[in-house]
Amino acid sequence: MDFDFSDEQKMLRDEAHRFLGDVSSFASIRRHLETGSAFDRGLWARLGEMGWLGVAVAEEQGGLGFGPLELCVLNEELGRCLAPVPFFSTVCIAAEILKGCTGAAAARLLRRIVGGQAVVTLASAERSDWNFDIATRFAGGKVSGSKTLVADLPGADALIVTALDADKEPLLLLVDALANGVMRTALQGLDALRPQAHLVLDQVDADVLARGDEARQLLARVHEQAAIFAAFEQIGGAQGALDMIAAYGQQRYAFGRPIAGNQAVKHKLADMLVKIELARSNAYYGAWSLEAGPAERPVAAAAARLSAIEAFEFAAEENLHLHGGIGYTWEADCQFYYRRSRLLAVSLGNAAQWSQKLLAGYSRGI
Amino acid sequence: MNVQDTPEEARFRVEVRSWLQATAPEFCKDLPADRSGIEYAARGQDWQRKKAAAGFAAICLPQTLGGRDASPMMEVIFAEEEARYPLPVGPLTSIGVGLAVPTILAHGTPEQIERFVKPTLLGELLWCQLFSEPAAGSDLAGLRARATRDGDDWIISGQKVWNSWAHVAHWGLLVARSDASVPKHKGLSYFLLDMRTPGVEVRPIRQISGESEFNEVFLNDVRIPDCCRIGQVGEGWKVTMTTLMNERVSVGGESGTLPDVRSVLGLLQTLEPELQAVYRMQLARLAAQEQGLKYFRFRLLTQISRGEMLSAVAGMGKLVYANLLQDLSSLALDIAGTAGLYPETASPAMAAELKKFHDGYFWGAALRIAGGADEILRNQIAERALGLPGDIRVDKEVAFSKLPSGR
Ligand SMILES: Cc1cc2nc3c(=O)[nH]c(=O)nc-3n(C[C@H](O)[C@H](O)[C@H](O)COP(=O)(O)OP(=O)(O)OC[C@H]3O[C@@H](n4cnc5c(N)ncnc54)[C@H](O)[C@@H]3O)c2cc1C
Repeated sequence: MDFDFSDEQKMLRDEAHRFLGDVSSFASIRRHLETGSAFDRGLWARLGEMGWLGVAVAEEQGGLGFGPLELCVLNEELGRCLAPVPFFSTVCIAAEILKGCTGAAAARLLRRIVGGQAVVTLASAERSDWNFDIATRFAGGKVSGSKTLVADLPGADALIVTALDADKEPLLLLVDALANGVMRTALQGLDALRPQAHLVLDQVDADVLARGDEARQLLARVHEQAAIFAAFEQIGGAQGALDMIAAYGQQRYAFGRPIAGNQAVKHKLADMLVKIELARSNAYYGAWSLEAGPAERPVAAAAARLSAIEAFEFAAEENLHLHGGIGYTWEADCQFYYRRSRLLAVSLGNAAQWSQKLLAGYSRGI
Repeated sequence: MNVQDTPEEARFRVEVRSWLQATAPEFCKDLPADRSGIEYAARGQDWQRKKAAAGFAAICLPQTLGGRDASPMMEVIFAEEEARYPLPVGPLTSIGVGLAVPTILAHGTPEQIERFVKPTLLGELLWCQLFSEPAAGSDLAGLRARATRDGDDWIISGQKVWNSWAHVAHWGLLVARSDASVPKHKGLSYFLLDMRTPGVEVRPIRQISGESEFNEVFLNDVRIPDCCRIGQVGEGWKVTMTTLMNERVSVGGESGTLPDVRSVLGLLQTLEPELQAVYRMQLARLAAQEQGLKYFRFRLLTQISRGEMLSAVAGMGKLVYANLLQDLSSLALDIAGTAGLYPETASPAMAAELKKFHDGYFWGAALRIAGGADEILRNQIAERALGLPGDIRVDKEVAFSKLPSGR
């Protein structure tokens, strides 16, 4: 048994931790929010220079040639600092879909992602998410339909769109976000750091990336994978919230001593750590399954998501609560974890959906 | 990142499996219903002997001490495979093998190691832990049993309580106060007590489960020769910590005879679909904990196998498992409804299943207290892993004899 990240992967984590600590802070997040731009373009360019945008892309395709474990590591660090960049949608979802597609268009776009020249997002949600129960139609090279809640759409250069052809065969399509007939309407939501928008496509030119069972399987695999990456992001966020309250709890005095000296407070912090460590352990197993365990992956993803949702929610809620009145202000940074934990608790499927998957796995005898 | 057995581990697992297949069933047959009785203890000793003869009694210890010099991973593999059988194992033998042996190895003299380690591994010696007292549990260092020097001997008087298997143990691990004029952690000494010594009186205590696995032990002017003292006079706390650390790592191992998520899911499937749906999220939450605990242990094992020091979070295993066991068992008994409280009204197969949930319901409660109660473990995680301030203490620099006491 060697159930840990490698030394190189840990070095990457340390490097990411240092780098993001230098360039991304709550102050920089607030400055970014005031600009009203879709994402922090300066930071995105730096991530491209460091190779992060192609960390899991093969060297022949311009990437660093590492695998999904490196993405886990980076997601944890990005989740901790809440950097306003479209990393998840572009690198963890879109690039992973493109890697699974053959054809020149996919390869070209992948190179542009790696080089930092393209932000790409998946537009799939209609009645529900991540499936082909959809009304969007593709015929004669043009796609029409509408998609809701598309993450990072406001700043996207290209879109991967789910659609059905005339025979109701599933398709993954590539659409230029600036093409004629693409309409985006930004939405105001709980977490402005990760902008979402509504998308309408009216007779828009599109290329087919994948079709039929291939498209279906690719989408399902990327979904499971993304759930595991998201668990790491949640763990990073939970750890960030715990670090924040552990520091504040030592500095804030009441009744002549630090508030963190009281058991009612410190036991909550201990519980945060316990929940984080359980979630981390499940996420490690998820990470292992990304490379080595396709059969175990659905269950691993479900357990990782359920425990990461619980850990981040608890940490974010109690972090705010234990700050007292200041925690409820705009001025305090507790809000960022509070908002993000709610967003991540429901993106990629909520706890009820993952519960069904986990128990289904037990029934099958995982 | 790898969770699979290495080729060497896989070979060992095969060896263990085939040995257990050939050996274990006979030891599981017709076990006495009273799982705290003398007969059950004798069966446990037989099993320990059998393991020792085959070289499985102390997998990580050097061969010179009766072990097989293998990695901690091999020990875990053996435990995993062993847990598939309802064998007479548990605190009965693990107090000796898991607590006495490492404590004596860490702090004992060569003579003490020679005298106690092998016979314990061979199942010849059963041990009990004589730590807790009526007025000292969580605050163990507040214990009152007195140790007075008398020539080459010590004379012990006091009362111990909650001592598992003291009614069958041959020897006991004992902490007593050798100096009450210094602050409480500084006046303790650690002894090995032959339970047949005159003045040792063991009275079983009936537990909530109806069994009597633990006891109260009265020590009336009991003589212990100085050669049975472990560690220096007044340094008993240090030795005690070694015992407790081993306890916290070991307490919380699952056994095939206790409820798990799979068994609750089996029960759930006997309900109407709409009712099932109501319980599913609750059960899935516990399933995620069960999985998380399993992989948390994998992470610890990886650290152990690399020879790394475990951090203070390692102690969370028992905290999580005890609560999980209680939650799973009460959820199962909820699903089973009133009929679940009366196993005899069910079919034999279902009755056995229900009995398991009853056991888990009680054992979960016990585990939340034994080996460091939940609150004590949370304090440790908060203070040692997160570096948060300690509780306000009124007993730190005060002579033990000057401390206030309650009930
Ligand atoms: C099944 C079982 C087997 C056992 N076997 C043995 C054995 O073999 N040998 C042995 O020596 N002992 C044994 N024990 C005893 C066990 O170690 C003690 O019960 C345990 O340490 C708690 O001590 P206590 O019972 O005195 O409870 P107390 O210390 O009185 O605690 C009562 C409650 O108060 C809480 N509490 C105490 N102090 C604090 C604090 N500072 N902050 C917050 N909360 C606090 C505790 O968490 C607990 O919930 C066993 C116990 C059980 C249940």
